[in-house]
Amino acid sequence: MRLRLRSLRRMALAASLALASHPLPAAVTFEHDIRPIFEAKCAKCHGADKQKSGYRLDVKSIALTGGDEHAPNIVPGKSAESPLIKFVTSQEDDVKMPPKDERLSPAEIGALKAWIDEGAVWPETSSVSVRDPLDWWSLTPLSNPAPPLNAPNPIDAFIGAKLAEKGLKPSAPADPRTLIRRLYFDLIGLPPTPEDVLAFENECRKGSSFLIRDAALETLVDRLLASPRYGERWARHWLDLVHYGDTHGYDKDKQRPNAWPYRDYVIRALNDNKPYARFVQEQIAGDALFPNTADGIEALGFIAAGPWDYIGHAEVSETKTDGKIARHLDRDDMAANTMGTFCSITVHCAQCHNHKFDPISQEDYYSLQAVFAALDRTDRKYYRDPDINARFQDLQLRQRDAEVAIAAIDDPLKVKAGEKYLTLSRSIDGASKAAANNQPNASPDYGYHSAITMQQDASKWVQVDLGRRVEIGTVTLLPCFDDFNKIGAGFGFPLRFKIEASDDPEFKTGVTQFWRRHDETFMADFKNPGLKPFSTSGAKDDGIAGRYVRVTATRLAERKGDFILALAELQVFDLAGKNVALGMPVSALDSIEAPPRWRKTNLTDGLAPAAPSADEKSELINQRDALLLSLADENVKSKRTALLSEAESIGVELKKLPKPNIVYAGGIHTGSGSFVGTGAKGGKPRPIFLLSRGQVTQPLKEVGPGALSALSFEPARFTLPPDHSEAQRRATLANWITAEQNPLAWRSIVNRVWQYHFGRGLVESSNDFGHNGAMPSHPELLDWMARDFRDGGGSLKRLHKLILMSTTYRQASASNPAAEKMDANNALLWRQNRRKLDAEAVRDSVLAVSGKLDLTMGGAGWQDFVIEHPEHSPHYQYDLANPEDSKTWRRSIYRFIVRSQTQPWMTSLDCADPSIRVDKRNESLSALQALALLNNGFILTQSRHFAERVQSEASDLSKQIIRAHTLALGHEPSDVDLKKLLAFAKSNGLPSLCRVLLNLNEFTFAD
Amino acid sequence: MKNNSPFHRAASPREIPRREFLWRSGGGLGGLALAAMLGQDNALADELRMSGKPHHPAKAKRVVQFFMAGAASHIDLFDHKPELIKRHGQPSDFGEPVEAFQNGLGPWLKPVWDFKPYGQCGKMLSAAVAPLGAVADDVAFIHNMVGKSGVHSAATLLQATGFQLPGFPGAGCWVSYGLGSMNDNLPTFVVLPDHRGFGSNGVKNWDSAFIPSQHSGTIIYPGSDTPIADLFPHKSGSYLTTQGEVEAQQLMAELNHEHAASRAGDQRLDARIRSYELAAKMQLTAPEALSLKAEPEHALRLYGLERGPQTWPKEINAEEESFYFAQKCLAARRLLERGVRFVQVWSGNDNGFPRRNWDSHEDVQRDHGPLAMGMARGASAFIQDLKQRGLLEDTIILWTTEFGRMPSSQGGKGRDHNPYVFTNWLCGGGIKGGITHGESDQWGYKPLDRTKPTQVYDIHATLLHQLGIDHTQLTYRHNGIDRRLTDVHGQVIKAILS
Repeated sequence: MRLRLRSLRRMALAASLALASHPLPAAVTFEHDIRPIFEAKCAKCHGADKQKSGYRLDVKSIALTGGDEHAPNIVPGKSAESPLIKFVTSQEDDVKMPPKDERLSPAEIGALKAWIDEGAVWPETSSVSVRDPLDWWSLTPLSNPAPPLNAPNPIDAFIGAKLAEKGLKPSAPADPRTLIRRLYFDLIGLPPTPEDVLAFENECRKGSSFLIRDAALETLVDRLLASPRYGERWARHWLDLVHYGDTHGYDKDKQRPNAWPYRDYVIRALNDNKPYARFVQEQIAGDALFPNTADGIEALGFIAAGPWDYIGHAEVSETKTDGKIARHLDRDDMAANTMGTFCSITVHCAQCHNHKFDPISQEDYYSLQAVFAALDRTDRKYYRDPDINARFQDLQLRQRDAEVAIAAIDDPLKVKAGEKYLTLSRSIDGASKAAANNQPNASPDYGYHSAITMQQDASKWVQVDLGRRVEIGTVTLLPCFDDFNKIGAGFGFPLRFKIEASDDPEFKTGVTQFWRRHDETFMADFKNPGLKPFSTSGAKDDGIAGRYVRVTATRLAERKGDFILALAELQVFDLAGKNVALGMPVSALDSIEAPPRWRKTNLTDGLAPAAPSADEKSELINQRDALLLSLADENVKSKRTALLSEAESIGVELKKLPKPNIVYAGGIHTGSGSFVGTGAKGGKPRPIFLLSRGQVTQPLKEVGPGALSALSFEPARFTLPPDHSEAQRRATLANWITAEQNPLAWRSIVNRVWQYHFGRGLVESSNDFGHNGAMPSHPELLDWMARDFRDGGGSLKRLHKLILMSTTYRQASASNPAAEKMDANNALLWRQNRRKLDAEAVRDSVLAVSGKLDLTMGGAGWQDFVIEHPEHSPHYQYDLANPEDSKTWRRSIYRFIVRSQTQPWMTSLDCADPSIRVDKRNESLSALQALALLNNGFILTQSRHFAERVQSEASDLSKQIIRAHTLALGHEPSDVDLKKLLAFAKSNGLPSLCRVLLNLNEFTFAD
Repeated sequence: MKNNSPFHRAASPREIPRREFLWRSGGGLGGLALAAMLGQDNALADELRMSGKPHHPAKAKRVVQFFMAGAASHIDLFDHKPELIKRHGQPSDFGEPVEAFQNGLGPWLKPVWDFKPYGQCGKMLSAAVAPLGAVADDVAFIHNMVGKSGVHSAATLLQATGFQLPGFPGAGCWVSYGLGSMNDNLPTFVVLPDHRGFGSNGVKNWDSAFIPSQHSGTIIYPGSDTPIADLFPHKSGSYLTTQGEVEAQQLMAELNHEHAASRAGDQRLDARIRSYELAAKMQLTAPEALSLKAEPEHALRLYGLERGPQTWPKEINAEEESFYFAQKCLAARRLLERGVRFVQVWSGNDNGFPRRNWDSHEDVQRDHGPLAMGMARGASAFIQDLKQRGLLEDTIILWTTEFGRMPSSQGGKGRDHNPYVFTNWLCGGGIKGGITHGESDQWGYKPLDRTKPTQVYDIHATLLHQLGIDHTQLTYRHNGIDRRLTDVHGQVIKAILS
């Protein structure tokens, strides 16, 4: 009450003095009058704990400038224009603030208005200070730290200095046997053979003990890095990051038969030690930056690697909300994948509002979406031969240009030609009047015609009685031709329909429906088929049979403002291929009986208009061209003729090329139906809008392509010419990411490599270098390595070697209580980390020791499942696969990766989920995992092969056991253990013993 | 310590979630770390112990989720619309342009079945789900559910995981992660798929995504030869014997202990030894848990299972649907009794042809008829059974689907997708019975009050609330975000709590 009186008094005072010529002390003060209101009524959602819409009223700078789309919320001097006042005074549910709690009193509102009108004076001392989000380690330029001088290898110098700081000492080096096993799993993901172990041990032998000799280690590291197995192992890490898969995921989960060339590209790039910058650039814009290279196309598989909502694209057009959402999420995946993988930054958090923790604005986020705005996930054709590829690319480009140019001429002419043009087009799609009249029986017997309805969704049916139950092979529908209504070919052919068979003429019982196998998406509407027949067969396993076959239209064809079902002929072929419907009686829900043209019996009279011949069709096309040309002036005419002949000759040239390679990648899609892509518009990027709260229904403003404004080495919004190609957007982003000055990219990759070698990154959250992620444990080392890597040509193999040769890497993994007490997480690396092998390493190791590993590289993925119901939603049945199928004995990297039904055995071993970007595998242990390793057909089969292998390699049981033990674990069993193993093998057999070895902790962990 | 729990709030940068911390820290935490690694601990209880900050007392311990794949029609089952009956056959007029998945906006189509009142509450239910009338007074209906997408995959994911895109843990994973297990010989989260196969998205509806894999839903097929994958040796292991299995366990334990002894301080090695012991226990327990043979005659009769499996006609039919659904319900009850925390029961396969799920574009009667009767018989028996056993008090049951179906007809007898409104119902676990919360409009097209719909976030928040968890506090950090089952939304629906 006191406040109210005082405020009112002050308001009156302020009003009366509003015109005073010199400033007076503010009548309302922030500290006394305003802050208490903010604290009492606003702070819950707009204060220190929560900042809804990124807005807070305890920080001056944000209060006066923030508020997302309403910003600024406070306009000093103008309370009437300040959104804040609108919110606190509104009575509308969606607008009012606070939305649920007690509202502001009139006096409080009055005080707020007065304070704003007086200039919203806010003393600096009354503001909570917030950190500058730009002041963050990962966004600062790479520093140039000199390694401390305590060790020859800079890595050891940095690590050693930090350990010394804490009074910790590094652990002793691991013995050669441990080290070689660690190196093998690290670099190639396979165990060393007993012979490899022995050789390395011998090289490191020093009297009765061992010493890791640099030269021996270097030879070993070089050999492993040069092995093709290296690329296979490390490509798996990369594919985890980019969430690669061989199916789309979501509903139906269709296969991507052409995804694998990207997987092979990654393996090859790593084996070839491709400079990292180029590796990045190729994956974002290889087509633009390295034209004419196979790598430049295959690498674009990166953009398409993640899951894709097939139904959301193929069945829902871009004009529908659900279609917009599907495409928005598609670009979101591309943007998040790009920035997450290469820059370790979480841009996807800025989809609905500015990033809550990092300096990433919503505009930054949508400008990244704009980079990919022209793209879809699609098959891209290319040639591995650069000469052919150059020719192919050139022809494709010219073809697209010609098509766009022709369309630019034709579109206005088509409008001019009007109905005439449309009629001719319909004829071209199907038939001509001539075709109909040329029938031997120049039939007036058109076909069956239903009653007319005003409801397009009315259900109409017509059926044939085959006279007896028939096993049905195929059903064919032939469309009508009608010249009376000037509708032409395909007259009355339904937009949606179904075909069923039954023994019940009422179709109430025993009804089986035909799959619409011709287009996979049985739900899609049909194009007017012209006079082309429509055929569908019963699925083999459905065994469709019945005496009656019924066609039911669920969405009728339009006549002229009303709707009908009409068909020329219904043919039902039995398994022998005979049309058993011919001449059989027809019944229908209703019918227009207007003989001879329309009557039910026409449906099975064997008379139907024929589809046009190629000659007739080209004649019609000529007619249509002539029509268009008659409306054009001479200049346009000659231009068009030239373009047409150009397009034709390009087509001829394209046909001369050999069969192209195909990769599933980011690209310009040219499609039909709901999934049209941007191809028809010459690959012009879709306009991208900043979406309020990430809602596709609430676009705010259009944004152009760009990157992160927090890094200022180049303009965040790309400056491209207005007529730039979409590829230029990607090329610009690729160059932005790989710029020398971009600290994120270089830190990101060296940290990832470090993580895979030590089980833990210098920054633990290797996909998040933002405020929500971890701080680097050794920032100087990170920067030194990043710089060294960047300036050394981005050589990953050089980086590996540097790390692997360090004494830090060579340390034993044994723990010690004193150090554990200081640093339980081993963040300072006073020892190596013992690693649990990942799913691929376990599987590949089992095959390696059983002697069955097939090292064939590359090509389509092997499949350890049987597909049921492939025609619609494939069921990937892993339990039906045969574990003795030797095609499945290749390395795990070549596995065909299904998204909706992940491989259960691999999944139980924490294999990466191909639906999410995985920077680090989870590690779990569970009863189900134990059961998988004990009982799965893979293990049981390979245990037997393992036993057979050692039986063929060693003479007696004891030697066989020693051999098996050494193969699996890298060393011979102790005498005590051998006794136990021998006893077990004697009573349970060698395969059973081999299964035990494969299940031991020691097999699954690398010290 | 307290901030490292899975229940941390707005964690600051350098904190690791508690489980991950336990995993890494190995020594010093003894059994707690071991239990965490195996998902055997009770994280909430630990949290209370460690922080002294209880969320609130739990009303429920267990959850059962019935999920109708393909989108079940609220209008034909639960949401009585007299106006629609009156206007049947008239051209539909929604008063606004409508985007429908297949543009199925034919005339108004009245419910395919008649409705009549049930129970003290007099809830109007369709003849298709008549058996549920027996438990009408236990159920809270929510008729103003609103989805975000009319596309099957996205809508299924939203209801199952709280997100429209794959890569997020199922609700059961969150519950497992938050509350841990109540047994040591069965999984915590069990999925009983439709006997014909998975719905849209397959295992993405229940796998653990970025949460450790022991929280994934474990698929169980009651009544099949291999109800749990790899529970027993694959047929290629014909060289194994029962006695040999015991000896193998012993030998592995000995060798593993020996190996661990020289690697002190690594709890993972001990945890893995323990996981083999648990596996052996599960082999003993699971077959018994899933065997319906031990059930007395009256129980089998309650579920309509006394005749056992039959030879069914090829076409979809109510008897067969009833058998399979009831079998899953009875198995669910047995699992709950044995300490399984979350059971998800599916009705309906993917969106194939002929229809094997609730996606009745062509003919509601043909598909919904048998599916609804099968579901209603099984669910009704299940609820009655739990009640008799005193389990209903602390078991919360949620019936859900992808979205609803349109009040207009598609092709005369079918209905198109309706993501704008649909029905959920809950019962048990402290839910008020015999009530209806949230109405749809006169057509069942959108919520009656469009400004106050109920969303899946609210349902999930309510589930967690009944389990004693504040949904805003159960988080897991992934790629920069503290993820929650309820994203950034969710209000506990107090009105349906008793």
